[in-house]
Parts: sequence; structure tokens; C-alpha cells
Amino acid sequence: MTATTDLDQPATKQRWTAGLPLPVRLAFRELRGGLSGFYVLVACIALGVAAIGGVGSVARAITAGLQQDGQVILGGDLSLSVIHRSFSDDQTTFLSELGATSEVATLRAMARSPEAGRQSLAEVKAIDEAYPLFGTLQLEGADQQSLMQKKGDVWPVAVERELLARLNLKLGDTLFMGQSELTIAAIINREPDRLGGNVGFGPRLLLSHAALEETGLIQPGSLIRYHTRVRFGDALSDTALKAEIDAINAQFPDAGWRIRSRLNAAPGLQANVQRFSQFLTLVGLTALIVGGVGIANAVRAFLERKQPVIATLKSVGATGGFVVRIYLIQIMALASFGIVIGLSIGALVPILAHNLLDGTLPVSELGFYPSTLVVAAIFGYLTALVFALWPLGRAHDVPVSALFRDLTAPLPVRPRLIYLIALAAALLTLTLSAIGLADDQRIAFIFTGGIIAAFLMLRAVAWLIMSIAAHLPRPRQMETRLAVASLHKPGALTPSVILSLGLGLALLVALSLLDFNLRYQLSSSLPEEAPSFFFVDIQNHEIDQFSALVEDTVPTVTLDRVPMLRGRLTSLKGIAARDYNAAPEAAWVLRGDRGITYSETLPDSSSLIEGDWWPENYTGEPLVSFDHELAAELGLTLDDRIEVNVLGRTIGARIANLRRVDWESMGINFVMVFSPNTFAGAPHAFLATASWPDATEADEFRLLQVITSALPTVTSVRVKDALQTVNDLVSKLAIAVRAAASVALVASVLVLGGALAAGHQARIRDAVILKVLGATRWRLLGAYLVEYALLGAVTALFALIAGGVAAWFIISDIMGFPFTFDPTTAVTIALLALILTVSLGLLGTWRSLGHRPAGFLRNL
Amino acid sequence: MPSSSPFISLSDVDVSLGQGAGRVHILKKLSLEIEAGDAVGIVGPSGSGKSTLLMVLAGLERSNSGAIRIGDVTISDLDEDALARFRGETIGIVFQSFHLIPNMTALENVAMPLEIAGHKDAMERARDELEQVGLGHRLSHYPGELSGGEQQRVALARAMAPRPSILIADEPTGNLDGKTGDHIASLIFDLQRTRQMTLVLVTHDPSLAERCNKVIRFQNGRVEQHEVAA
Repeated sequence: MTATTDLDQPATKQRWTAGLPLPVRLAFRELRGGLSGFYVLVACIALGVAAIGGVGSVARAITAGLQQDGQVILGGDLSLSVIHRSFSDDQTTFLSELGATSEVATLRAMARSPEAGRQSLAEVKAIDEAYPLFGTLQLEGADQQSLMQKKGDVWPVAVERELLARLNLKLGDTLFMGQSELTIAAIINREPDRLGGNVGFGPRLLLSHAALEETGLIQPGSLIRYHTRVRFGDALSDTALKAEIDAINAQFPDAGWRIRSRLNAAPGLQANVQRFSQFLTLVGLTALIVGGVGIANAVRAFLERKQPVIATLKSVGATGGFVVRIYLIQIMALASFGIVIGLSIGALVPILAHNLLDGTLPVSELGFYPSTLVVAAIFGYLTALVFALWPLGRAHDVPVSALFRDLTAPLPVRPRLIYLIALAAALLTLTLSAIGLADDQRIAFIFTGGIIAAFLMLRAVAWLIMSIAAHLPRPRQMETRLAVASLHKPGALTPSVILSLGLGLALLVALSLLDFNLRYQLSSSLPEEAPSFFFVDIQNHEIDQFSALVEDTVPTVTLDRVPMLRGRLTSLKGIAARDYNAAPEAAWVLRGDRGITYSETLPDSSSLIEGDWWPENYTGEPLVSFDHELAAELGLTLDDRIEVNVLGRTIGARIANLRRVDWESMGINFVMVFSPNTFAGAPHAFLATASWPDATEADEFRLLQVITSALPTVTSVRVKDALQTVNDLVSKLAIAVRAAASVALVASVLVLGGALAAGHQARIRDAVILKVLGATRWRLLGAYLVEYALLGAVTALFALIAGGVAAWFIISDIMGFPFTFDPTTAVTIALLALILTVSLGLLGTWRSLGHRPAGFLRNL
Repeated sequence: MPSSSPFISLSDVDVSLGQGAGRVHILKKLSLEIEAGDAVGIVGPSGSGKSTLLMVLAGLERSNSGAIRIGDVTISDLDEDALARFRGETIGIVFQSFHLIPNMTALENVAMPLEIAGHKDAMERARDELEQVGLGHRLSHYPGELSGGEQQRVALARAMAPRPSILIADEPTGNLDGKTGDHIASLIFDLQRTRQMTLVLVTHDPSLAERCNKVIRFQNGRVEQHEVAA
């Protein structure tokens, strides 16, 4: 503020706001007071908007990265893959005429180090000289060319560092795989098409096709996937690329291959990124809504301070509606400030993610995604509006009469109907936006419904606590009496603390319990009933030796073995699979290859629901048994016909029966079980499980060593290792989820801090009066301690109940697992709530206790 | 306005505030008439209903019964928004505690009612008003930078800016020292005379009341005495 005595300067000169409508001008004049009292509002909005904008931008950057690097991730413009057998000469010739081609073969196999007595599952990839058609393979120790040439009697291979660690080997050492001895000639630093593959259960091992041939791993029925990648000579437009795919399919209608193009290089990854980002967006929205309590608190406190100004405006002719317009503009201007900060942070997150996720996910570096940021800004404005409208509406009826009595008159409890309608409209728009902008609207609906329910319940809990506190008999001890009175007095912290902290903590409880249950499901409960090992690629001639070895080594083992083929569903009820209109939850069955088997009898973990099982030695038309749930989702019924492509042959079968499959048994289960005559004479391998409930780790490694030494081409998957891989993935996702949840908790703490700060003056006044009456600081501190501890305890209790119910619903109802309550989570959250409320509360209170009464009393 | 009827007329006005046991009967069947151009001083002990009368006159407090008429308008029939507009055009108010808006300069404070009423030349007129009260050199000062007397002069300029026909003043010198108070009182009476406004002034100060041409003494929500100055 400046003073001047100049008559014409600067008050009468035109300000930049001069041309704006009057409410805007007055709003800007009022904003000269600065951001004091609005830090929490701005921070809450900035935090929520940054979370939503950041998550959305990173998801878009990853999607853009997947599209930009589509050729590199896929390894070509097109990738065609078949299982069990290589491409025919006709097919190879046809594809090589389209452009440059590269052949890749992938499989899982056991890599062994007899000297170290170790073995590990490896994701094996055989490459040719043309590999990679796009991007660069980065090797350390040797170049790609040297992998193509045998050194003496030994083929060189390149491996990921993790394989070296698992086998306790180093560069230049020897390892064994199948029937071959191999030299570790190079370490893989970057594999350009790593993301295009499936989730790996082991580290990568790269070798030449000739080297793979010599390992003996390629047997009839082995689970080997062959890929031919095509790079078109001229840059092909997307339309032309699709036309090429159609032409390929027309040329080889029964090839049974899977074709992917650069346009959709990693569809599974892209879908997962979208799904996960949607979930994180909803968590970000929760943070924004938690912050909304802070917005409401800030607006209410601000308007209470502004009552004299509002009354003055009304005394000179302003209507109630005009006053509300002025302050609505101010609040939205402040919200805009928070939104700009949030959007700036959100826009920068992809750059951070690009550096953090380098090599893990392709995050486009220079991504700026205005539409994502617009969505975040819309959420920011709508949240600000929803939480500001109630206190703003109450400002309409600020009485001018207070100016005559020098009193701060209490505002009406409820705003006028018009503001309630506006509030309902804003809330509805926010809810519909959250649901409408989500990919999975059902989940978004449940989530927003849950948030609204939790919000209403928290408000009810706060009301209940205040009501109980008001009706409790007066405790004899002064500290407790003061604490109980503070819980229900007008302007009590109870609603603010319970609402803000309760919502953040409930979210944290729900996410922690989800995380706990998923891990528990993966690591604790399943192995009790799950087998210890899966054995893949046991050849026909090896199956008896394999069974004998297992049973000799572990007499108590339960060995289950089934024939195993891979095939693609190519048509259902006479409609080609690609044209078949499948329910989204069943669409996965039509994508890619499925394991299939044949059986004389009904498998152990199945029960017949409809139809009859085929008789022994059945020789009639090929029959198939289908999982009844998937059949229902696919619209299949008894006697419908399906076709599968196995080993390049199309085989038709009639659905003879539907059966219920106990998928959670983790035994060997298949969607489709065929009558044995369907695959008579077809080459296939066996899949076996070894269940061994009381096995120690040493026992398991002993069996692993026996099998891999005697039958080196059999691939052994230790279930605990596979679960560990999934567990590691869950852990990584949990970090992102917890980061998002912690944003909500930070918002809670901000709101809590803001609410405590808003009550600071009242605390000083109370403390001063009580000190005048002889209360010591310690006695007052005791009273505050009891009050904050009560609030913290009640909030924690609610958070545990609400979060627990939400987690229980998701685990048991949506995911279908048994729910387990984790007491550690309960204790941690309860402690967190107590520490936050008591420490933040006392931090502010201690300062108010230090005030000398005289100075304050003069101003009372 | 017809010369036969009084400019301000209250008939059987009853005002009670509060609820239940705390309900207080403040104005009791009050009837009162004030002629245009009068300077009326309202005096009486605290709690006698003086300020409530001002609020009722300004349309800031609703009466429970009775009618309040100003000129041709029965303000007790107006809704909130119509009352606000009527106030902006017809009534200027000066408060004991000034009630200037702290984040606005003196000029902006004075211009505010004119801007709300939609006057394009609000700033120019506000400057003229400030010059009239001797604050032409304090236009860009914020209330916090002004003395109590200066703040009350800004408040007076703000009340006068829309050229109201009634000026209501609630203890206008109550928060000022004697000399400054005298100066403000002189300003008020000078402006009232030159602009031929009706002044209704509540005060505890007998010397201020004596400067009015009529004095109404209040007691217990009723007019106890009506005096006309010589």
C-alpha cells in the first residue's frame, strides 16, 4: 500500500481492471489482501490437480511412447507368430516378399550351472542376423555378429545380468541348457523389443537359431513360439498396413497365426497402463475431495472474517446475490491459482517419469497433453465449486444490522434453495465427469459412490460424536470436561478433523488391506493347496522316466500329468473369432493361444454342469468340454460348434458338455478339454504338476536338480519363484498406489493443519481466559491432549471400519478371494491418526499457551 | 412527493428480536413522522431501541408488524433485493465504526455505491465527494493509512455520493475525539443543509442532538418525548 498526496495520481488513473464487469473489479480489489488464509485452499487444489494431471500425463506419455516406438517394441511393422511349429516355406517366401524379415523363436528353458549346482528358468530367444529390424540391441562383451558363430564346439550366448546372479556365473563362464554347453559371451544391456513380449518369469538368454537347434529343446509339441517380423521397404501408411494384414490373412486363411502391427505393439501393456492410470486418477480425485474439506473450511473462515465488508457492501445497495458473485469470483480466482500450480507440476511429471522409468516403460520425453490437463483443471474447478458453494451461499444473508451493533452475527445455517440447487448441480457434474471420463465406468461408479458414502458417513460420525459429547454427563476432572466441551462447542474442530483425516485414512486403510490381501493370496494361502512345481515340455518318450524320477526322489509326491497342446480358437458357432461379439470379460479367450488338452475322463478339479462326458474309447465326431462360465459369457451352449487351430490344422468339435472348473486350485486346468480321438496322432508334449505340501526349500531344489540333470529339455517352473515374480510386480504397482494414496494423506494433513490454524484465535482466547482464572499451561495442555487424542481415535476407528469394508468388498466381491484383516495395518493406521492429530494439534496449541493474557485482554 | 403527507412515516411498528425465552421486544407499536429536510436527533439510554429504529428505517431490520413508508414507497413491502436497490438510491448511512473496506482505497470506497448503482462516472463523482469533505489529497490511501477522523470523512463521502434524500447516522462521532467529532458533525450538518436532505441521527451526545431541529427521546422502545428546537 502506498500513500501519495498527488491529487491525480495514481488513484484516479485507469486501472487494468477498469473495463471488467463490476463484480470482477470488486473481487480483484478485495484480493489485494493477498493469499493470507488461503494457503491451504491453494495447496489442496494444487495437490489434487497435480496428482490427476500428472497421472494422466504419464499414462498419455506411455501410450504415446508405445505408439512412437511401436516398430521397435514390436520388432517390425508387422509381427506374425505361431506356436509349436515354424512357418511353412510358402509362408516364409510370401512374407519375405513383403519386405525385410527377421525370424525369432521364444521359449522357456532351464539354464544350469553344474559347477555352482544352480539352475534357473530362462526366457530364451533365438535371433537371426537381421534382428532387430528396428532399434538396437546393446550388448556388453561381444557384438551380435559373434553370437552367430560357433567357437570351437560351443555356441556363445548373451544373457541378462540377473541370470548371472542366479547361476553365480560371470562373463566368459559356461552354462548348460538342454543338451548343450554354452559360453556366456555377452551381457544384454538393452533389448529393443523386450516390452513387446509377455511377462517374463526368468531372465533373458539370447542365442542364434542354430545354437537353439543344437540344444534339443525343439521337440514335437514343445512350447516354442516362432515369430516373423516384417519391415516394409517404403514407409507404409496405417491404412496400407491394415490392407497388408487383410491380404496376408486372405492368402493364408488357416495359418492360425497371431498378427500384431506397429499400431498396437503391446496391447496388453497399453490396456494395463490405461486401467492403472484410471485407478490412480480416482485416487487423485479422492485427494482433491479430501482437500475440498480444506477449501470449505478456508472459504467459511474467509467469509466470516469478511462479514463486516459484506454488510458494508449491502448497506450501500449491493444485493445478496451480487455479494455472492464477488466472492465466488474471488474463490475461483484463487482456485485458478492453485490449478495453475497443479497443472504446472502435472505437466512436468512425464519428464520425471521419463527418467525414472527409462528402460522399463517407453515414456515419451517431450509430452505435453493439454486434454489431460484440461480434465485435471475441470476436476479442480468443480471440486472448488462444490465445496465453496455452501459457505458462499450463506454469505448471501449476512445481516447488515451487525454494523450497528459491532457484532459478528451468526450466519444462517443453511444457504438459500438456489445455492443448494447450484451445489447439487456442481456435485452431479463432478460425479458424472469422474464416471464419464473413466475407461471402466463401473469401477469409477463404485469408487465415486464409495467416496460419497464415506463422506456422508463421516459427516454423520462427526455429528454423532458432537451429539454424544453434548449429552455426556459432565466429567469431574477439569481437563476431560474441557476436552469433551471442545468436541461439541460451536466452531469445534470435530467435523473438519473427522472429515478430512477420516477420508484420507480410510483410503489408506482400503489400499493397504488390498495390498496385504493380494500379497497374502499370492504368498501365503495359495501354496498350501498349490503344487510345488509345474513341468513343461515333457516329451512322450520321456514321460515314464520323468514320473519314475519324481516318485523315486519324493515318494510322497502327488504327480498330475496331462497332454498339452496350444491352439487358437478360430471360430465359434460358425463365426470367425475375430468377428465374434464376445463379452469384454471373456474376450481374452479369443486372443492368442490357449492351452488345450484331451482326456478320457472328467478332470479332478472339475464338475459337470450340463451335458454328458464322452464314453471311454470314444471314436465319434470330435467333442469338447467347455468351462461353463466362459461358455455363458461367450454365448455358447451345448451342441454349438467351435474350431481351433492346432499345429496349423483347423479342428472342429461339438460342445458335448459344460463343466465348472476350480481355477483357484492352481492345478492343471483348461478352458477346453477335447475327446481323446480329436488329436489322435498329433505330436504333443506333457505338462505335469508335482504337489508336495510338506516340502522344504532344500527338497525342492534337490528335485529340480535331479530333473534338470536327467531331463535337460524339460522346463521346471517352481511355483514359489513364479509367485515371487508376480509378487515383485504387485510390489512395484503398490509403490505407485501408495504414492497416490499418500497424496490424499498429505491433503488430509494440510486440511487438518488449516482447520487447527483457523481455530487458533479462539484457542488463544480460551487459553487466556482460563489462565486468568488460574489454569496452568500443563493443565490446559492436558485438556487439549485429551481432545486431540479423542478425535484421532474416533477418526482412526472410522477409517478402519470404512476402509476395511471397502477392501473386503473389493477382495471378496469383485476379486472373489477370501478376505483377511491385517492387524498390523489397523495398529499402524490408528497410531498414524493419533500421532497426526495430537502432534499437529499440540504444535499449534503450545504457541497459543505462550500468549501473555494482558496483551490479548486489551483487545477482547 | 405530496406536501400533505410526511416524508418518513412509521405506524404501529413492532420489532422483537431473538427466540423463546431470549426474545426481546425492542420497538413497541412505534408511530413516528419525519418531514423532508428535517434534521432529527434520536436520543435515549442504551437498549432503548434507537439503533433498531435506524435499521428499520434503512430497511435492514424487518418489523414484525406495522408499516414503514419513505416518500411514496412502503419499504416494509419490498423484498431483500428491492430494499438493497432502494437503499443504494435513497439512503446514505454513516456508522460509528466507519466500516470502510480495508482493501480498497478511499476513492474506491466512495465510488463503490455509485458503481453498484451503475454510474459510469463513479470515480469522478467519488473524487468530487472526497474533495467536498476535504480529502482530495487522500484519494489513493487505504483506510489503514487514515486517521479516525479521516476515515469517518471517507465514510461520510461514501454515504453522500449517491445523493441520497435521507442520511442516517449512528453515533457518527462516538469513536472520535471531541475536536475531530465537532468537525465531522459540522460537515454532516453543512451537507444536510446544502443538499436539503433529511437527517436521522442517533447520538448520546446532547450537544450534537441540540444541533438538530427536532429531537426524539426514546425509552423502552417507545417515543418518550418529542422536542422541536427553537
